[in-house]
Amino acid sequence: MRRFAIVVLAFVLAACGGRDKTSVADGGAEADSARFGGVAVIGAGNQVTDLNPLTSMDQTANQIQQFVLFTPLITYDSLFQPAPRWAKSWEVNADTTELTFRLRDDLFWHDGIKSSAHDVKFSYDLARNPEAAFPNPGFWTHYGEATVPDSFTFRVKLRPHADFLDPWRAFAPVPRHVLESVPVGQLRQHAFSRRPVGNGPFKFVSHAEGQDWIFEANPQFPKALGGRPYLDRLVYRAVPEPTTLLTELLTGSVDYYIAPTSEQAEQIKQSDRARLMAFPGREYVYIAWNTRRPLFQDARVRRALGMAINRQGIINGVLGGAATQANATIPPFFWQFDPGAGVGLRYDAETAKRLLHEAGYSDRSGDGIVEDVHGRSFRFTIKSNQGNRIRNDIAQIVQSDLRKIGVEAQPQILEWNTLVEQVTTPSKRDFDAVVFGYGTEFQVDDSGLFHCEKRDEPFHLSGYCDAETDRLLDTLPRIVDRAAARPLWARYQRKIVMDQPITLLYFQQRREGVSNRLQNVDPDARGDLVGVDRWYILPGQRRAGGPQQTAQR
Amino acid sequence: MIAYLLRRLIGAIPLLLGILTIIFFITHLAPGDPLGNVGPNVPEEVIQQMRRNLGLDQPLHIQYFRWMGSFLRGDFGYSFAQNRPINEILPETLWNTLQLTLIAMVIIFSLGMLIGIVQAVRQYSLADNLLTFLALFFYSMPGFWLALMFILLVSVKARQWGLPQWLVFPVSGMTSVGAEFMTPWEQFTDRVKHLILPATALGIGAAAGVARYMRGSMLEVIHQDFIRTARAKGLSERTVIFKHAMRNALIPIVTLLGLYLPFLLSGAVLTEQIFGWPGMGRLIVDAIFQRDYPVVLAASFVISAMVVFGNLLSDVLYAVVDPRIRNG
Repeated sequence: MRRFAIVVLAFVLAACGGRDKTSVADGGAEADSARFGGVAVIGAGNQVTDLNPLTSMDQTANQIQQFVLFTPLITYDSLFQPAPRWAKSWEVNADTTELTFRLRDDLFWHDGIKSSAHDVKFSYDLARNPEAAFPNPGFWTHYGEATVPDSFTFRVKLRPHADFLDPWRAFAPVPRHVLESVPVGQLRQHAFSRRPVGNGPFKFVSHAEGQDWIFEANPQFPKALGGRPYLDRLVYRAVPEPTTLLTELLTGSVDYYIAPTSEQAEQIKQSDRARLMAFPGREYVYIAWNTRRPLFQDARVRRALGMAINRQGIINGVLGGAATQANATIPPFFWQFDPGAGVGLRYDAETAKRLLHEAGYSDRSGDGIVEDVHGRSFRFTIKSNQGNRIRNDIAQIVQSDLRKIGVEAQPQILEWNTLVEQVTTPSKRDFDAVVFGYGTEFQVDDSGLFHCEKRDEPFHLSGYCDAETDRLLDTLPRIVDRAAARPLWARYQRKIVMDQPITLLYFQQRREGVSNRLQNVDPDARGDLVGVDRWYILPGQRRAGGPQQTAQR
Repeated sequence: MIAYLLRRLIGAIPLLLGILTIIFFITHLAPGDPLGNVGPNVPEEVIQQMRRNLGLDQPLHIQYFRWMGSFLRGDFGYSFAQNRPINEILPETLWNTLQLTLIAMVIIFSLGMLIGIVQAVRQYSLADNLLTFLALFFYSMPGFWLALMFILLVSVKARQWGLPQWLVFPVSGMTSVGAEFMTPWEQFTDRVKHLILPATALGIGAAAGVARYMRGSMLEVIHQDFIRTARAKGLSERTVIFKHAMRNALIPIVTLLGLYLPFLLSGAVLTEQIFGWPGMGRLIVDAIFQRDYPVVLAASFVISAMVVFGNLLSDVLYAVVDPRIRNG
């Protein structure tokens, strides 16, 4: 149904371009005070039901926590280098076993209580308490006990590891005085999830389930961190139907459409009321080969399959070019990235055939499908989830690509929960190959994907086991010095390419539809909402109604 | 009559419990569970802890008796996805849905009956043919397509053609941005504006259906002897049609009303999805996809109770419109 709906509206909307051009004022020309005021509406397909940083599990919620409602200890600048946020400064001792944050003393919770190091320790302890079931316990793998030497100093023990500051960017501490009395196991059910008290640039105003979250500017937000946001209010609206969301953007009811579909990107580009902003993302799409099954046990076979798949063809054909080819799990803009890793995986059907032949597969019966020495044909099923057109298309392209080297892949589409259960349940792993997606953190740790010891973790889809890879996975996260780590990271990426436990297809380009009146918007891989406190709408272009008083600086 | 009603009501109890039991086991049979979507970064032991926190680590029959126990005490339990009591979610969602479906029902029956009567009285006239054509047109249009066309016409196109502001309708949600700053009257009109598109998209196809029934049943009645008698004794045409003919023609419509009642509370999945209306249809579909068992059960209970109640009500209404049934 949804697909059809999109096509219908796409067709009709395409017919009605080209009306009065709204002038877009160039940023910086107008007086700064004119920027204060107005309401911006963020529209997205998914509902956010929980804004408690200790319990929420979805990406959008984490974005709102990081950039709207709360203040993490550090943030990243546009070059992805740590920059002060709640913490004014930090230091590590010489052997990287103790990290000390000096916190700002002018940050307040939205209920008026001052934010202190006690809040940080309280939140940190809860996030490490297994009973609280904090969804990202991987943050703290190498972290230990925390202490509070004084109200604005937070000190924590750690084992030396790479990018050790990264968790403090995504982790937003919560107010101790609000959550202190809540039993740990009941955190998730507590009203704080729906009526959060933060200390970020925007304050929580109201939430209507299934509809919207409303935030308003926090006038007390420290000047040094940017001060009061320009916008008076920020509204997050969940609209489940993409076609409706697009209409809302093109008619000006929504100002910021998070991640429109690929079909819609073109229409947004052509519209004179909105623009499309794109940036390289950290999410990648891959095919996992189930190495627990005999068919995929030989690395040469897996690499043959990887080489036979025309990844650039998929990017051009399915995504309209809006992606970057991926070889290993490191996005090109990460410091760990090795540009040469892809050599062993160029699209080359002849080499792929040769590799298959070396592994003992050749077309003995003359039916166009290769067989092993026992005469068994190379046939398997490739699964993807219903409703995800891109992944279903990928499965079909893979089917036709592989047929060229005599391998028969049969696409199969399953409902999402069913697919997840079949492929992630350690006792089942009922699949040959599956098209899946994953998003990497800035602090890369792939052991959940490839380490032999984690073979029975849900997302170790491939079941791949290799001593050298294990060694690299153990060592890499522990090296603090980037220069020393780079050659090892390169080795790791080449290893993944050569062994192909999974075939990475591409890193997605993240796209946003932005209304022309919304200024100073510059999303990047840090997140869709980065810099939301600096967004503004000039007075003449604001919505009618809304809060009457405009902000005073 | 009262004894009959009581008998029917008591008979409904085991029926509903049976339905709930079947739904309980069927939803748990579906692959996956509420924690299937937590994401790849969450390790197995955290998922197990979440399962324990939600009580999902217990054997199925224990979960069943626990759930049934609290259900019988009037407690639907906790929504896994929304993290709050269902007794808090249901009234909200039901009220949202009722606003939408009640207006849609008014459209369906008032419009449908009116058109049907006009057509029957002016059989084979130009108006009859035209209305038949229109009714068939809307009846055969899928609701979601109509919904998208409405969005296109009265939102996108209306703005482009420069139609007056009151002809431009919002296309998603229940309130406008900044509704909390409006006067109560403005809030009311704002809500009405948000309701018009989804209610019309929902109602117009069904209204066309009702119109066909009404026309057929009116025609049957109009040609009967007692109508001729009524005209012969000098009654005005108005009295003849609305008092004598219509009342007799209503019986099939009352059956329809009973069939439509469950729809009042079950909501409309596609329409709610397209217009972003947070009603029962969206609630139950989201709950199914998220394997939010308690919400699926609570919503199914409401809907199946409405089916039983709707049937009962239409039986009672038969008696109201047709004295022969009342006395028989």
